[in-house]
Amino acid sequence: MTKKRERLEVIKDILEVIREKREVKPTRLLYASNLSPQMFKDYINELIEKGFIRLDIDEKDKKSFSLTEKGNDFLEEYRVIENFVENFGL
Amino acid sequence: MYSELYGFIAQNRELFRFFYSVVIALICFIIVLKTDRLFRLSSHQGIRYFRNAFFFYGVAFILRYFLAKPPYFLLMRIAFEFFMVMGGFFLFYSLLWKRFEIRGAESSLFNLRIFIFYVLAIIIALLDYLWLWYNFMFFSQIILFGFASVISYRNYKKGGKEHKFLKLYFVVMVLNFIAWALNFIFADFFGWRLRWFANVYALNVIVFLIFLYGVIKVTRKAK
Repeated sequence: MTKKRERLEVIKDILEVIREKREVKPTRLLYASNLSPQMFKDYINELIEKGFIRLDIDEKDKKSFSLTEKGNDFLEEYRVIENFVENFGL
Repeated sequence: MYSELYGFIAQNRELFRFFYSVVIALICFIIVLKTDRLFRLSSHQGIRYFRNAFFFYGVAFILRYFLAKPPYFLLMRIAFEFFMVMGGFFLFYSLLWKRFEIRGAESSLFNLRIFIFYVLAIIIALLDYLWLWYNFMFFSQIILFGFASVISYRNYKKGGKEHKFLKLYFVVMVLNFIAWALNFIFADFFGWRLRWFANVYALNVIVFLIFLYGVIKVTRKAK
């Protein structure tokens, strides 16, 4: 049985997909995130609220997500945060 | 040699009290700053409670020296105990929060679970004030760090090979437990003699220095 992903790991996975593709459509990101639609929606709302990602809508009303500077900072610091949480048993 | 050292400490008691409080408050301040940055980036609830613990410890040690003088002594004594006990509760809860919170509460200072800790801390501080001793604080912290030692030992057994600081974290929890036990023994059976308490103060500084070492080491970016 595969281990359930921790919240931080899910966030890191979502942000990595967006960083890799630069711009990602919602359906493609949902598929790549491996989350249920409801969970995906909750995570995306949280990430937008925290300013980690941005929802862009073009003139044809097509939506896509892109990474913000804060989201990029999170990915850079992810190892440090993960290391801290695991070393202190938090 | 030791009696000369204790003699020197006794002669400069006020200076040592000052440095003891300032050094620990400064360590707490650095830990709060470093962990606050991590929390703001990750919104991780465990980091948040850990940060709060050192904020409360820092305030407690500032109160301990700067404000624990007449005419406010009794009032500040209650405040000092409250912040000290809350520091312990936050540190303990940072190890347990996952069992009680699914996604983390909106506020780490004002939620129902923390409110219970506030009430307990106020009761402990008031009871000690009424009895004119510190035993309720000593007992609460001895029990707390006894449990924290067990939890951190289990964490170490589970992930100690991969995460080296877990071992030191277990050691620091045991040292905390010993420090509180010695506090109780020296206060109740040796009449607060500086000769004995100087050892507890030294142990406390070591405990906080280990926390600082861990925070700096673990948060240092890999090159």
